[in-house]
Amino acid sequence: MIRLEQVSKAYRTHNGRKVVLDRVNATFAAGHNYGILGVNGAGKSTLIRLLAGSEPPDRGRVRRYCRVSFPLGFGGTFHGALSGRENAAFIARIYGAPLRPTIDYVGDFAELGEYFTMPVNTYSAGMRARLAFAACLAIEFDIYLIDEVTEVGDQRFRRKCADAFRARMTHSDIILVSHNPQTVRQYCDYGAILADGALSLYDDVGAALTRHHRMLQDAA
Amino acid sequence: MSDSLERSTDVEWLEHAIAAGELESCRAELGAGGLAASKRASLYCRLAEALYYRGQAADAVDCADAAFELEPRCPAIADFCAWLFSNCGQHQAAAVAYRRLLEVRPDWAAGYRHASGSLAAAGDIDGAIQHAARAAELEPNCAEFAVHTGLLLAGAGLHRDAIGYFSRAAALAPDDPAVLRHFSSSALALGERERALDLARRAHVLAPGERENAHHATETMLRCERIDEAAELISAVLAGGNADATGYRLLSAAEMLRERIEVALDAIERATALAPERAEYHQHRGNLLYRLARFDEAAAAFDRAAALEPENPAPKRSQLTVYFDSGRFREALAVGGELIRIEPDNEEYAQAVLQVLNRRFETLDGDYVVLGERPAPPIRTLRPPPGLWSAMQTQWRVIHALIIRETRTRFGDSSLGYGWALAEPILHILMLSLAFAVLMHGRPPIGTQFFIFYYTGIIPYHIFVHSSSSMTYAVTANGSLLQLPLVHTFDVILARGLLEFVTDIIVAVILLTGFGAIGLAAMPHDFGGVAAACIAVWLLGCGCGFVNAVINAFCKSWDKLWAQLTRVLYFCSGIFYVPGMMPGWIRDRFAWNPVLQAVDWFRSSFFADYQPHWLDRTYLMTVVGVVLLAGLSLERGLRRSLCEPL
Repeated sequence: MIRLEQVSKAYRTHNGRKVVLDRVNATFAAGHNYGILGVNGAGKSTLIRLLAGSEPPDRGRVRRYCRVSFPLGFGGTFHGALSGRENAAFIARIYGAPLRPTIDYVGDFAELGEYFTMPVNTYSAGMRARLAFAACLAIEFDIYLIDEVTEVGDQRFRRKCADAFRARMTHSDIILVSHNPQTVRQYCDYGAILADGALSLYDDVGAALTRHHRMLQDAA
Repeated sequence: MSDSLERSTDVEWLEHAIAAGELESCRAELGAGGLAASKRASLYCRLAEALYYRGQAADAVDCADAAFELEPRCPAIADFCAWLFSNCGQHQAAAVAYRRLLEVRPDWAAGYRHASGSLAAAGDIDGAIQHAARAAELEPNCAEFAVHTGLLLAGAGLHRDAIGYFSRAAALAPDDPAVLRHFSSSALALGERERALDLARRAHVLAPGERENAHHATETMLRCERIDEAAELISAVLAGGNADATGYRLLSAAEMLRERIEVALDAIERATALAPERAEYHQHRGNLLYRLARFDEAAAAFDRAAALEPENPAPKRSQLTVYFDSGRFREALAVGGELIRIEPDNEEYAQAVLQVLNRRFETLDGDYVVLGERPAPPIRTLRPPPGLWSAMQTQWRVIHALIIRETRTRFGDSSLGYGWALAEPILHILMLSLAFAVLMHGRPPIGTQFFIFYYTGIIPYHIFVHSSSSMTYAVTANGSLLQLPLVHTFDVILARGLLEFVTDIIVAVILLTGFGAIGLAAMPHDFGGVAAACIAVWLLGCGCGFVNAVINAFCKSWDKLWAQLTRVLYFCSGIFYVPGMMPGWIRDRFAWNPVLQAVDWFRSSFFADYQPHWLDRTYLMTVVGVVLLAGLSLERGLRRSLCEPL
């Protein structure tokens, strides 16, 4: 369970201040998977980083009553000069996971072959995403935060990720950002819409998707 | 009976028989013919009357028909027939009979009125209007005729003509609320809102107990956008014990228009309780629930309305919307199909169904993996936020991991790796010592060996410079790691400082053992003092390092400036000389340099016979405290801006 208490967050852009959250109170209940929806630039990735703790809120508090993953997204959490293996070891160390099994799991899952021992700088975007998935899954989190990376790799790898998450979902939850309604429906039972600094939670992902669809149409 | 028929067919017997109720035999007798037409017609009339009162309406109409055919021109017969036909619902025939009568009595106003009523009932509205107008013309002072004509005209949509008759009727019967109500309706239809409102109010005031007037007044007010007035009026009527379904329906409409959706819902629920068979009420209730985003209940209400009126498209259209909005696309599609069946040419319906179809395509299961259904949320155990001890453990894990990471990246491409980190300062010190030892023959200022003398200067200086410079880049070089929630700017900065400290200490120990190995007497006389000096100069370096790291995140050329500053410090810190060799006034200035103080602290603990009087450990520790405090508060204060994504 993650609870937002009077959380405000804004950041500066070229066009002035952009408010992502304005005194938001919300609770992401344990046992549910949330799909976060919103138009481009609404601040979905910022929200994910706030939930993870990668960024502090300007005001208010984010309380986490569980182990929350780092944001699994395209923005790398890896050090480019280190190999995939060393990065995996780093993640294992900071989360206090057993070193050897974690590295083995990541190497096995990410399917990087000999690239696993080469610097992450030499990886393609897809390989980085595969490494990120593997590293995130290697650690036992209560909530996995996923930002737009469910469409990585080929069909087979996607199936593998979905299978891994399905196995994980018996004791973990997911908070997901995706533009693909199919993906949201596939992973989530609850929805959240971020718009104009407000976060509305829906206990039915279908209703959230429909609202979001409407908003997109209105905007068009 | 049979023998009595044989006896006579005369009129008196028949009249007697009718009076006695022998209707069937009379009818047979009359049908056999024989009597004069006028006699038979009148007898048929009496028979028809008797049959009518006995409840045999169809037989009565047949007999009246026969009479009317026999004597079409007789007013008395026509009068009777018109009466019978009207009462038996034969309006067409009644109208013919009335017309016949009016041919005989063209000034009979009531006849025109009756004919108009029959024509209207038979569906001939034009004829009805003509006759009604004639009646009103013949008797201009009869309010009922005027009202009747007005109602016919209004019914035909001719409100402009109708309003003339209504105003006449209102003048004749100013206290009749029904007249005022009809008048008001037509005025409203013509857009004369004020007049309509005034009339509706007057009608209600004349008979406040009559629901019809109250309902009409409310409806008129609603149409004229007098929402509050309408709500007050209907509430008062309902509160006055005159409660009924229509009243609650109107109250609900008024409250909805006042945006008091909850109150409107309460009213319509009372209305549906009183009249559960009214589909429109359920439809309205569904709309209100939908506006309250209670989709499931709204769907149930629309379902009810649709079930009550299966051929009405309106509830189905609402069902479609609410199913669509609650993601029940399967049901939305089914009801859309019915909608298209009822009105295949309605474009709006077709558009709505098309929208559902499009969404259905979007949400159809594709070739991706569908995760298992989760009917009930699994139970999760919540963890309390970490306490101080576990937070410290986590922080130590992070710093430890960062230190290990730094050992891998500090000399990234070199195959020696961390080995090079050790080799570099060792070579540096050896080269420097060798150069000075060769250049300067004779004795060093302290002790006997140049190597040891330079060692005692370089080691504290390196501890300071390495930590403060390395920490400068900690934030900028670790941007991606800072995306990990556990990794904070404090950790990455401190990790670098710790690594430099550990490295420099290892270098110092290696060199010292090396000197010992080649036979140089190089044991510090006070290990504790040496360690204290090292820690003090390292803390000074850390303070500067924190300041540098923060400044460098905002000002990218700061590192260049710091590099110049460290070079200046190299000459000002008494590394290859002792401040005692300087003139007193210069030395007193140089003594303000904390690095020089640290170097002299180190030397004074290393060499037993070197105790400079300018050494002030308290001053040094004060500077360390101030710098450290400044660095840590800068980091703390600007942490948020430091970890913004790059």
